[in-house]
Amino acid sequence: MSHADHADAEGLDRHQTEVAPGEEFAEEDIGKGIRGYLIGLALAALLTVCSFAIVHAKFVWAPAVPVAVIVFAIAQMGVHLVFFLHITTGPDNINNVMALAFGVLFVVLLIGGSVWIMSNMNSNMMPAMPPSSSPQSSQPSMPMIQPMRH
Amino acid sequence: MLGKLTLSAIPLDQPVPLVAGAVVALIVLGVIAWVVIAGHLPYLWREWITSVDHKRIGAMYCILALVMLIRGFSDAILMRSQHAVAYKAGGYLPPEHYDQIFSAHGVIMIFFGAMPFMIGLMNFAVPLQLGVRDVAFPTLNSVSFWLTASGALLVNVSLVVGEFARTGWWPAPPLSEVTYSPGVGVDYYLWAIQISGVGTLLSGVNLVTTILKMRAPGMSYLRMPMFCWTALASNLLIIAAFPILTATLAMLILDRYLGFHFFTDSHGGNSMMFMNLFWAWGHPEVYILALPAYGVFSEVISTFSGKPLFAYRSMVMATMAIFILSFMVWLHHFFTMGPGGDVNGVFAITSMIIAVPTGVKIFDWLFTMYGGRVRLTTAMLWSLGFMVTFVVGGATGVLLAIPPADFVLHNSMFLVAHFHNVMVSAVLFGAFAGYTYWFPKAFGFRLDEWWGKAAFWFGITGFVIVFGCFYWLGLLGMTRRMQHYDVADWRPWILISAFGVVVMFVGLVCQVVQLVVSIRRRDSLRDVTGDPWDGRSLEWATASPPPVFNFAALPEVHGEEAYWAIKSRAREQMRLREEPAYEPIEMPLNSPTGFICAFFSTLIGFAMIWYIWWLAAAGFLGAFVTFVVFAWRDTVEYEIPASEVAKVNRANRSTRLEALHGAGQRRAA
Repeated sequence: MSHADHADAEGLDRHQTEVAPGEEFAEEDIGKGIRGYLIGLALAALLTVCSFAIVHAKFVWAPAVPVAVIVFAIAQMGVHLVFFLHITTGPDNINNVMALAFGVLFVVLLIGGSVWIMSNMNSNMMPAMPPSSSPQSSQPSMPMIQPMRH
Repeated sequence: MLGKLTLSAIPLDQPVPLVAGAVVALIVLGVIAWVVIAGHLPYLWREWITSVDHKRIGAMYCILALVMLIRGFSDAILMRSQHAVAYKAGGYLPPEHYDQIFSAHGVIMIFFGAMPFMIGLMNFAVPLQLGVRDVAFPTLNSVSFWLTASGALLVNVSLVVGEFARTGWWPAPPLSEVTYSPGVGVDYYLWAIQISGVGTLLSGVNLVTTILKMRAPGMSYLRMPMFCWTALASNLLIIAAFPILTATLAMLILDRYLGFHFFTDSHGGNSMMFMNLFWAWGHPEVYILALPAYGVFSEVISTFSGKPLFAYRSMVMATMAIFILSFMVWLHHFFTMGPGGDVNGVFAITSMIIAVPTGVKIFDWLFTMYGGRVRLTTAMLWSLGFMVTFVVGGATGVLLAIPPADFVLHNSMFLVAHFHNVMVSAVLFGAFAGYTYWFPKAFGFRLDEWWGKAAFWFGITGFVIVFGCFYWLGLLGMTRRMQHYDVADWRPWILISAFGVVVMFVGLVCQVVQLVVSIRRRDSLRDVTGDPWDGRSLEWATASPPPVFNFAALPEVHGEEAYWAIKSRAREQMRLREEPAYEPIEMPLNSPTGFICAFFSTLIGFAMIWYIWWLAAAGFLGAFVTFVVFAWRDTVEYEIPASEVAKVNRANRSTRLEALHGAGQRRAA
């Protein structure tokens, strides 16, 4: 379990100074920090310009445009994670990387699962019926489901 | 001016809730009057209401849970007695009132009984077990607790002002939409759960940060006590799942208040989306409640068997496997509501797989006891009772995970029996085991064993009778949520289950008597050393009750079972650890922020329920001002001088040394 070992070392270092809850650590090198944000800003702006540009560009094969936009979008997320949220592969970053991994896993499970379940239910449903006019005529215990509008 | 609120909101035509509400209000007013007249208010304000000490907040969570468990149990008594008399008759509870009772029972037991109890135990024990001084964000912790209390208050207000939801504990649209539920009942549900849900989410963030970032020196992940692992998994699930609930209920609020169509019948709404999202929260919620209870059982069984937990690493793996798998099973809550065979099949398989790590845990507990010197204390009895009854509940769960079986059994009393079987035996038994186990740590004296054991035997006997009958009633074809019935075959089983509730009530009385007797006899039950059960983890390394700073010096951890190692060395060498070099300790200042925020949140909730827009705006403004005042505070901490720390620690060391020598002489003799 290398994760635990890294975190262990980190925990030891930090606790030797015995920081009370809520206490801030010493400020790090501010100039270095600002340079990182500026690089991130430049890369993010560049990727944004690229995705706008490629939509208007004449020389790109039309079906490739959405793919390229998706690629730029994912690169944009990467830039944000690295330069703004400071996700690195360093040993002091295990918690953040794990949190990101769990977040991605749960979002994929929830959204993927919901899309799959809902489309499956829609395809199993009867065709839509006209909505009932009075509350008494419908049966609340067996909700009438209508397909989603696409 | 007062929105929908008029005098007719007080249900004068319904004597049962009115009398109950009046009695509760009288008791509350009496207690408040006694507190004020006897002059306890400054103490209560200083030491409890504004406290940011995780131990105090944990204790308050558990007290809230105990009170709300009694409230939820009184709903259960009403339902069982209604069924006992409603054979070919209307009974004494009209349908619209009976519907509110079963809805309130579910909501209160899950959100305001089980949740605060588990969060309270985690709040109390996790920082102590990790060997640290408080949670990561102490004032936020206080805010979390008071928001939960605010939600509980709103649910109770619905008893006398207006009505509660008649939709069941999950307010399924379109029934919960304004077309079919035009009253304020569903709004009470929505705002109570939204407010307490925010509290729960903040509490989850707090505890995860505490476990990941604040451990005693040398306490690596794989040296953490099992309870900390299950608390970590449970709070990660809170962070992942509670936003789904909040978003789903927010969509229902938009539907009801602003005429949106997320879940309506018409205009493209889809009520199945509510089912899907609600249970995507709802199943992780089951494990949010059960995992900390598993942690309690791990601690209790290991301590009272006098052995380290068997296969600690497999237990960690099982916990984290449940953590992941709990997000892959939610569809089994609506197998019968439209998904096709392939979807049902996948979720059936994942639902069965999740029983495997739970089974691993059962075997680990059994092997922990095997060869150990088992002491049958009250906490251990609850754990053993859990293991026996939970296996039955788990087996019926695997049965219900088979879609064809679920098509036969869904919506029946068999299902009701199943989820009570798992929730009561895991969560409630775990809560009582943890309550008995950590009570001496929290208050400095043990609970009376005789009354505790009586509470256990009556509790588990009544529980088996009630839900054994429910299983059988389900197989006889009785559906859930019936206000009356006319099937002669069900009659005897319903009467036996009503008798079972009487037995459970005796158990509840024993539980209350236990507390009263223990407080009266606290001097003879005193825990002087801080280690009443011969414990193995760090909470037993400090005094009972622990000083506000928990540990005079943060303990150094060199392996699993940190305190057991320290104690073994002390027993070999017949002397305590070296006295640490005492230093002044900085602790966070108390703050009324949580209490005031919750006061304004209650106003917001009540105002939104009754459409009193100006009051809602005023409440929001008040809460924001409270936040700003807190954010601009000048002093955040106070210092406890080294001499004070030394005095407190030396007092505990001298009693421990006495106990050590006493034990040494007994061994020699």
